[in-house]
Parts: sequence; C-alpha cells; structure tokens
Amino acid sequence: MAELSFTQEELDEIEKIKAKFPTVKAATLQVLWVAQRKYGHVEPEVQQLVAETLDLPAAHVHGVASFYTQYYKEEMGKFVLDVCTCLSCQLCGGYEILHHLEDELGIKAGETTDDGMFSIQEVECLGACGYAPMLQVTNGVYVNNLTEEKADELIKNLREGRMPEFESMQMPKLEKRNQAAS
Amino acid sequence: MPEVFIDGKRYEFEGDHMALQYMLDQGLEVPFFCYHPSMSIPANCRQCMVKAGQYMKNDETGEYELDEEGERKIRWFPKLQTSCALKLSDGMVIQTQETSDEAERAQKDTLEFILANHPLDCPICDQAGECPLQIQTYKYGPEGSRFEVKKVHKPKRVELGPRVTLDAERCINCTRCVRFTEEISESHQLTIVSRGDKNYPITAPSETFDDPYSLNTVDICPVGALTSTDFRFKARVWEMNQTPSIDISNGKGCNVDLWTRDNEVLRITPRQNDHVNDYWMPDESRNAYKLFNENRVSRPFIKLDGDNQSNSSWNNAIETFAEVLEANDSSDILLIGSPHASVEENYTFNKFFNLLGAPNARFATHIIDGYGDDFLITDDQAPNTSGCRLLNLDESSSSELKTAVSQAKVVITLGDDLIDRDVLSVSDLEDPYVVSLATNHNEMTKASDLVIPITCVAEHAASYVNIDGRIQRSFPAKETKYSNRRLNLEMSEGRLDRFGTNFDNWVNEDNKVDCLPVWEFLNKLAERLGLEFEYRHSREIMTEISEKLDTFADVSFERMDEEKGIQLPIKQSKVEQK
Ligand code: SF4
Ligand code: SF4
Ligand code: FES
Ligand code: FES
Repeated sequence: MAELSFTQEELDEIEKIKAKFPTVKAATLQVLWVAQRKYGHVEPEVQQLVAETLDLPAAHVHGVASFYTQYYKEEMGKFVLDVCTCLSCQLCGGYEILHHLEDELGIKAGETTDDGMFSIQEVECLGACGYAPMLQVTNGVYVNNLTEEKADELIKNLREGRMPEFESMQMPKLEKRNQAAS
Repeated sequence: MPEVFIDGKRYEFEGDHMALQYMLDQGLEVPFFCYHPSMSIPANCRQCMVKAGQYMKNDETGEYELDEEGERKIRWFPKLQTSCALKLSDGMVIQTQETSDEAERAQKDTLEFILANHPLDCPICDQAGECPLQIQTYKYGPEGSRFEVKKVHKPKRVELGPRVTLDAERCINCTRCVRFTEEISESHQLTIVSRGDKNYPITAPSETFDDPYSLNTVDICPVGALTSTDFRFKARVWEMNQTPSIDISNGKGCNVDLWTRDNEVLRITPRQNDHVNDYWMPDESRNAYKLFNENRVSRPFIKLDGDNQSNSSWNNAIETFAEVLEANDSSDILLIGSPHASVEENYTFNKFFNLLGAPNARFATHIIDGYGDDFLITDDQAPNTSGCRLLNLDESSSSELKTAVSQAKVVITLGDDLIDRDVLSVSDLEDPYVVSLATNHNEMTKASDLVIPITCVAEHAASYVNIDGRIQRSFPAKETKYSNRRLNLEMSEGRLDRFGTNFDNWVNEDNKVDCLPVWEFLNKLAERLGLEFEYRHSREIMTEISEKLDTFADVSFERMDEEKGIQLPIKQSKVEQK
C-alpha cells in the first residue's frame, strides 16, 4: 500500500476531536472513524497512521480497533451488509434473508464480491428486534422488516448508488400515546 | 487508631491501605490473579471478592448499634467487593472466604467462569507447579463445571517476540503483561485485542515484543500463557532447586534466583528487593545462566610446548605456579584483579600475593558508555566495580595496564577476559608468564600459560558491591567436584536431590565442574609455599574484611541475609588495605 497520510483538512478535524477530550487516548475511537471513512477500512497500516497522528502506542490503537467489529480490519466491499441472525431476526427469517443475499450476490457471509461492491456479514443483535429481520448497511442505515423483495430492491438501489432512506420506526407504545394525544 | 474487622478479628491500621494487600501483609489469604503490588489495580479478574460492610454507629452517642442479640449491627455493602480495589476505612467489616459462604461461592463461580475456556492441560503446561490458577482452583475452585460446550480455542504458540511465546488459550486476561509494558518498562508494546472469549494480549501488527524487559511478563503471568521461548519445556519446576543469588552481568546487581537441576542452571528469575530491582530484571541478564554451564574450565590447564594447552593435575598446577613464583622477583609480578569477581575473591587474591611481596593488584573497569538505560541496565558491565574500588585495588586504564604488563615477568589475573573486552591484546601477553584464575574458556585463558579453574557465582557464597554501593551476596547453587549438597548446609536441595542417587539416570556427573574457590586454591598454594594463609569459608573472609576495612565495618553474611544486602557508605574516599 502506498504511504498513507491525512490531508490538512482531516488533520484539522482530528485536532478538533482531540480538543473534546481530556486525554488523547479518548480520541482514538473518533479518529479511527475519520480514517475508516477515508480508506474504507482500518487495516494495520491505517491503524499505524492513526497511532502516529495521535502519538499513541500502535498497540493501543490496535487494541481499540480490534475490540469493535464496526472497524473493518481488512478491505471490505463498498457496501457492507450486516445481516442480523440473532434470536428475533432468526425466528422471523434472518437466515432466509442471509442465504437469499448470498445466492443473489454469489458470495458467502464473510466474503466480498469480485467487483468490490458488496460484502456480507452475519452479525449479532443490532437492537432492532422489533422490526426483525433486519440488516445494516456499512455501519449506517438499518433496513428493517426485510423480505426477499425488499432485499432485492436494496441491492438494486445500492448498485445504482442510491442509499436507502433512514426509516423512522415508531415504538408501538408511542403510537398509542400519539393516538391518544391527537 | 482506625480499626477494621477481618473474619471477626480486630486489626488497627494507619494510613491508606487496600484491603487485599493489607490482608496479605497480615498473613491472611485471599485468592487473586490480576493484582500486582507494583502496578495499577484494574480489578478485572474478580477473584479476590470479599463481603464488606460497616458497623453501624449511632451518630449522636458514637456507640455501636446493637441488634436484639446484642451483636453489632452491620450495614453490608449491597454487593461483594473486589478486595484489591477496596480501600480500608475506619470500622470496616470484611468477611473473606473463611467466614462468608457468599464470598466462598463467588470465588468458586469466578473460577468456574475463568476455566470455561481454559484448556486445563496442566500435565503438559509449562506453568504447572507454580501456577496460581492451578493452586487456587485446587483450594477454592468448584468440584466440576457446568460448561458442556466445546471450549473456544485461541491461538497457540504465537511468537510475540524473540524471547516470549504466547499460548493465548491459557490467558485469563488479567492484563498484568499489558500493564507491565505500559507502567514498568514503558514500551507500550502489548495490548489486549478482540473481546469476550476471544481476547488475548498481543503486539500491534507492525511490532514485535522485543522490549528489553519482556521476560518479566512471563514471571508475572499467573498462568502458562506467556512462556520463555528459551526455557519452555526444559524442566518441571518441582524438579528444580531455587537458590538466591545476584545478577553478575550488570552493575545493578539485580537480586535473582538460580534454578538448577542436576547441577545445571536452567533459568534465572528476578527475586524481589525493593532497594534494588523491585520484582524485575532485564532479559539479557537471564542469559548469564549459560556461562555457568557451558565452556567451563574444568581441571587446570597448562602450556607445555609452544601454544599447546593440555589438562594437568592440580598437584602439577600448584607445583608449576609455586616454581614460577619462586623463580621470579616479587616486584616483577603483576596482579590483575577483576570487577567480575567477588569481594572475597579480589581480597584474598590481592592479600595472598601481597604477602609474597607483590605490588597491589590493579583492575580495569568494564564500562560501556551509553549502554545503560535509566532502569536496571547500567553502563557498568561488571557486578563488583565498587567492590574493587572499596578494596583499594588500583583502577587502571587500558594503556596503563599494557605498560604494566610489558614491565612484568609474571602476570596473574582473576576471572576477567581482558582480551575480549579490548583492554589487552594477545601480543601484550606473549612475553610474561601468564596465570589465569578463570571460570570459562576465552581468549584470555587461551593466551595463558597456566589456567586455574575457579568457581563461578553459581558455585560459591560470595559478595558483590553494586554500582550504588550495596553489598549483596550469592549462595552456592551448583555442586563442584569437591562440594556436596548434603554436606554444604548452605545449599538447597530439590526433590531430585533429596530422593535421587548417583545411579539414577537423571544424574550426570559431567555437570560437576572440577574447580575450586579462589581462596581454597590459594590455601593449597600457601601450603606448598610455606605461607601463612588459610581460610575455611568465605564467611571468614568477610569477617576479616569487616574488621580491617572501615567501609565494610559491621558487614557480615548474616546481616546481608537478613537485610537483603547492606548499603555501604560508599562516599568514603580513602580505603586502607593491609
Ligand atoms: S495455566 Fe495453570 S491451570 Fe492452566 S493448564 Fe497451565 S498449569 Fe494448568
Ligand atoms: S497473558 Fe498472562 S499476564 Fe497477560 S493477560 Fe493473559 S493471563 Fe494475564
Ligand atoms: S435479533 Fe436482530 S436486531 Fe435483535
Ligand atoms: S485481584 Fe482483585 S479483581 Fe483481580
């Protein structure tokens, strides 16, 4: 990999992040995000860059990066589909969705398509059990109440560069309250 | 004075204390893994749980509140506490596993949890025999386990660095090793990666664990996760002898233990001494053990024709030595003492030849400028430079020594490889008759006409004055051809020594070196020369030194043993020796 570096703009952003915390160590998480946004992953070289930029031990940054699955320790596809197969999702067809996506994209969970567009991962509960089954796109938007059709639609949209909208889900209780209030 | 009640017994304390350390200081026992007295307290193993609370006092009267039965009422803290992180306060009540079923149960459960994924391969584990996990499971652990699923297997045999190998499976994530690199050696090379049942310590991908103090993590790892690449699988600890000694590869004089089996030193580990090295020692000093086993001078060597050295008998060596001394004028003798040899060796060496009329011994320091760090590695490569100075040997530079050698007819040196460390060259030693009292074969012994094998630090009781002026001593750990574990009351005996015989196949006579302590050899030489000179023990030599030299006043082996070494008034400038 070529020599990595942050642009002046990014460095300014990092300075701002550092200013928010009493210790530099605490800025590690956010600066790793800056790096991942830039490179799409935090491979060891990227971790090294973060460590050097923050003047922290490389081991510390590595420890943080490896603790959170949301940081990609290897190169991933442009869109990472985290399909939940934890209990609620599993009962509501999480595995069916996962396998459907696998078939559609011609890869297995944990793999990336040849064109570098998609990666699929099987993940644990993302806290959206009420709208199971669900998946998350590249650590971002949740796509809830999945059906095979909805999944196909998603793939199609992503291929065309259209990210799904953020869906606001209402808690049943809230609905009731809102009804009562209106 | 503030008071605490531990398992129903009252203790008074002063100052700040953490409950666990306080209880350990009182000789009480609470099992623990992650706590280490020299490092921060993360309280992450949860093994040291106790039940704690406070006696209730009436605010107005200051009297204890009593229940119906007249017992003092206790307000228990809502949950069990990790005693390592629990600060003692006045009136605190603590129940350990001895009196509280709850604490006992918690410790059992924690152990069951720690062992959920621990391989429990004690029979093939390097830590077995000195493993806190093994011991505490035996004492406090559950009878069985409720875990029936397959264990998680973490990486095995990971070479963290040149000297440390990790078996991540056995790691219990106490973080001691990580904290060591952060807080003690400050290399920050280790971190815990991943999480939950998959986590283990490792370096960043771009780094290797080459911290000059890396092996200390092996010592403090409470399980067999971190092992010394050099020592692993060499011996089981219960077959070994542990003998207190001093590191001789460095001026700091770290306190160490020599671990021997069948008369070979197999490893060196640090021994705690707050005045010198706390619990630590540098990696490089641990390599010194090879010097004690390998390449030893065994039986005297003598040059008969040309440069051919051959083994000789002790009688022949003594006779030859005596003849050389008799044939030469005493003023033509050059004595070279050694900062690598002990106080007793340098003293008797100098005294003996002084008695014959030879001039005072010289010595050359072995200092490499800039070699040291600010921790336990010093510029001084020798263990006893201060000792030589305090004995008033003449400190000489390389050129001064070269001149002295060129003027001498007989050069007698004490255990110091002056050629290898570039003080003298082989050609300097061509003309005079050279006698070396030496422990190991090296360039110096090769260039010598007569080589007398002497005991090394692992074979004798002797003292060394470290760079800070602290005099500390060694104990014999290995037998020589002439010493015997059973008869030498200072020598420790291991299981194999106690229950083995010379006919057992694990006993190897070859591991006993044919050598003598310097003073014992000089006794024999004195007898031949008709000189009044006799010592029966190095203890006796130290007694004499302490009587003759003010700096060593009141120094004795007994005091060194009791006080873990004695600080000498090293500032004293003039030291007389007669
Ligand atoms: S670390 Fe201790 S308990 Fe674990 S396998 Fe080794 S000896 Fe047994
Ligand atoms: S390797 Fe040993 S010292 Fe390090 S965290 Fe694991 S158990 Fe603790
Ligand atoms: S089980 Fe899928 S989000 Fe919780
Ligand atoms: S020793 Fe107290 S929690 Fe580990």
